[in-house]
Amino acid sequence: MEDSGKESTKTAGKPIRCRAAIGREAGEPLVIEEVMVAPPEAHEVRIRILCTSLCHSDITFWKMKGPLGYFPRIFGHEAIGVVESIGENVDELTEGDMVIPSFMADCGECVDCKSKKSNLCSKLPFKVSPWMHRDETSRFTDLKGETIYHFLYVSSFSEYTVVDVAHLTKIDPAIPPNRACLLSCGVATGVGAAWRTADVEAGSTVAIFGLGAIGLAVAEGARLRGASRIIGVDVNPDKFEIGKTFGLTDFVNPASCKDKTLSEVINEMTGGGADYCFECVGLASLVHAAYACCRKGWGKTVVLGVDKPGAQLSLNSFEVLHSGKILTGSLFGGLKAKSDIPILVKRYMDKELQLDEFVTHEVSFEDINIAFDLLREGQSLRCVIWMNK
Amino acid sequence: MEKNCSSETERKPIRCKAAICRSPGEPLVIEEVEVAPPEAWEVRIKILCTSLCHSDLTFWKLDMGPAAAFPRIFGHEAVGVVESVGEHVEELREGDTVLPVFQPDCGECRDCKSQKSNDCSKFPIAHYIGMPRDGTSRFKDSNGQPVHHFLFVSSFTEYTVVDVANVVKISSDIPVEKACLLSCGVSTGVGAAWKVAEVEEGSTVAIFGLGAVGLAVAEGARLRGASKIIGVDLNPAKFEIGKKFGVTDFVNPAACLEKSVSQVIKEMTDGGADYCFECIGLASLMQDAICSSRQGWGRTVILGVEMHGSPLSINPNEILRGKTVTGSIFGGVKAKSDIPFFVKKYLHKELNLDGFITHEIGFQEINKAFDLLLQGKSLRCIIWMDK
Repeated sequence: MEDSGKESTKTAGKPIRCRAAIGREAGEPLVIEEVMVAPPEAHEVRIRILCTSLCHSDITFWKMKGPLGYFPRIFGHEAIGVVESIGENVDELTEGDMVIPSFMADCGECVDCKSKKSNLCSKLPFKVSPWMHRDETSRFTDLKGETIYHFLYVSSFSEYTVVDVAHLTKIDPAIPPNRACLLSCGVATGVGAAWRTADVEAGSTVAIFGLGAIGLAVAEGARLRGASRIIGVDVNPDKFEIGKTFGLTDFVNPASCKDKTLSEVINEMTGGGADYCFECVGLASLVHAAYACCRKGWGKTVVLGVDKPGAQLSLNSFEVLHSGKILTGSLFGGLKAKSDIPILVKRYMDKELQLDEFVTHEVSFEDINIAFDLLREGQSLRCVIWMNK
Repeated sequence: MEKNCSSETERKPIRCKAAICRSPGEPLVIEEVEVAPPEAWEVRIKILCTSLCHSDLTFWKLDMGPAAAFPRIFGHEAVGVVESVGEHVEELREGDTVLPVFQPDCGECRDCKSQKSNDCSKFPIAHYIGMPRDGTSRFKDSNGQPVHHFLFVSSFTEYTVVDVANVVKISSDIPVEKACLLSCGVSTGVGAAWKVAEVEEGSTVAIFGLGAVGLAVAEGARLRGASKIIGVDLNPAKFEIGKKFGVTDFVNPAACLEKSVSQVIKEMTDGGADYCFECIGLASLMQDAICSSRQGWGRTVILGVEMHGSPLSINPNEILRGKTVTGSIFGGVKAKSDIPFFVKKYLHKELNLDGFITHEIGFQEINKAFDLLLQGKSLRCIIWMDK
């Protein structure tokens, strides 16, 4: 596709034919094919993706068989793009705007969006939907005319996609796209969790279970808040080195805790437990461990990881009662996209928030499956996929 | 009744009557016991009146595990007068009106110094069988055998010995039977609403279990200006009683035919209550409470002691959706600062304590209090030591 800024005058109002990476079968490599992307309907925006990155949640649903597995599907939800054209009733964006899509809607009108305490838009509530948000249809068809499913209201593994305006945040175009896309999901989630969900204060002790991009972003958020100790817990010892960049002061590898349990080790290190424990993997057993490592009286355990459907947490009722510990969690780190993402952009541009080190690999769109291999093998944090290289 | 003034009894054991439980679940027997003088940091108290709380029942029935210990003097909700003090006790004197409280407030440890916690860490829990500092007993029965303490208080006796960290001095202006309620149950409920949940004006609240603790939560929420206070209980009579404490709506789970309790509550509150309180001690209700709370900011506070030791099972998606779950011992109350505050609120006619007392009996009839509570016929039955 052309790069010309005038392209929208040629393509506005018409379907666009472009390339997309389609998941046709659960767990099978994506196939790059041409697709038709319909023009945006009311409250929708068609955007040209500049670059996108792979998040674990893409992998979870890409692998999913059974009723929750929708195929063929265009995955990807962490991205940055440029507005190509807008549908009716879109006043806040125009062609050419730089935008970050987010899986969590921010309509600005409902009780939740208006409340400081919640980021769970209730006008366009979050669920793992295969459709556009308002009318539950798709804007994608393949060249045979077969419907292709959306993913998390974004579907960024495509040169063009259509996103509801509630899922788009306009940002300062000065930020490099291969940094901005990180704020579309994973890094924003982690930093948001430290700031909004937990509200980490200066001098606190923090323990982070799982040092993927989210966990390391929690560390970064805690570091910026002035946490005195940030303990990283991961079975991969390599994570400590990279974690230091983001503020990790200590590292615990559960596999190396021989005579003691993980919680005994952390309770000893912190003199009774951490003020904040974050679970960033999505495993009930790890949530239990995090809860056990959290200080009685005021310790807060924050759940960020998404577990398998049907998973249950099981806590000792007497301990819940007696310990006074707080169990909480959030989606998207408690962030309201339209107000908080620009703040994160500014903090990066002001050289406070570190984003560069999250990007461990960069590939072109044709090589998108390499991103999947790298993440599944635990070799990458964020692999940025450039659409136009 | 004996009138022991300190010049006669100070530093000597006191012989008096106590209601002893010798076997799990068996009626208490009034026997003579010997109560040792208070050691360093301890206070010997003459109990004026005491009331029965469900936690007494839970441990009274308990027949196994390290927390079960017999013979034992139960009771932990009471009011009394200081008879004598041990060494190092500066803050109390003979004659002071005091409430013994099971939750210590030493004022020195990191938790006591923090606004965020009331979980004093000075004493290890040690199953509350003896005195908190040395684990030993101050009670001997007529055969010279030690009798175990309960929850650092043991109030079903004419005299008891309590650590200074477990005693709060109160104004003598408040009628003692009202003060007694603030020693545990009512403070727990009001504290939970004010300190743990921090109910704000206009909030919606759902309370699972309308016993004394649940009704005290309602009272606390009412005083904070909650717009809707939903009481959940299997006993429809609790609704009328609840109205006195601010309950605005009532849900009887037995009457919810096709819908679950949490569905009913979500409908009533347009998505879920801002604050949910579990005040019974059943894991299944704790789960219902969490489901009944609103996504985004709903907070569930657990106050009940799980009666079967069942684990609390939570769907992690509920937590991911911004719900908070926390438990609290004694409603987040720091006895020495918060209880005098509650007393003041009562004396200023803001906090309503009258409706909690449904029965009054003499010490000899103490087992009646157990029957009444077990049958769900009472809220608080005051047991007068001097009748």
